[in-house]
Amino acid sequence: MSISAVCFIALMTAVLSLTVRRHNSEIALVITVVGCIVIFISVLLNISSLFESAKSIFQSASVNSNYIAILLKAVGLCFMCEFAVDCCIDAGQRALANNVSIAGKALVLVTALPLYKDVLESVLSLTGGGV
Amino acid sequence: MDVDMIFKIAAVGIIVAVLNQLLVRSGREEQAMMTTLAGLIVVLSMLVTQISGLFGTIKQLFGL
Repeated sequence: MSISAVCFIALMTAVLSLTVRRHNSEIALVITVVGCIVIFISVLLNISSLFESAKSIFQSASVNSNYIAILLKAVGLCFMCEFAVDCCIDAGQRALANNVSIAGKALVLVTALPLYKDVLESVLSLTGGGV
Repeated sequence: MDVDMIFKIAAVGIIVAVLNQLLVRSGREEQAMMTTLAGLIVVLSMLVTQISGLFGTIKQLFGL
């Protein structure tokens, strides 16, 4: 999908949302969210080939495939959380947005914990292996 | 591409707004409120399927 289509959908969604907002603000919010989802899904489906090439690049650099999986998981978590945070801010709910953001940070940390463990182990092995 | 979904939801919103105005003018406040609520529920049920599709795509792509 081309960039002009994305811009067009965004503008059209904004105009429709503004039109409906005067009479029915809940449905205006839903229109905005659905517009975001349409654009996001089309972008994700377009960049799905990127993941394959990124994986092959990492594998040719002989990086552990577990690390790539963790990296992708963290990116996916960030995308999901950012989407929910932006929708909550649009709805005027900053407290909910902050909580979702904190949950996302915590989950990314939990996901990346094995990486920290590996880094610590390699540091320990470099400094002589003794604890 | 589900661009039709945006138009559909906007149409539901406009129709619900018009019905709401009509019912309020003819003095049926409760029915107007119920119409708004019904429109909101219809639109929310559309939104839920879309959100589940988006999160399913993200989960599948990023291996969550």
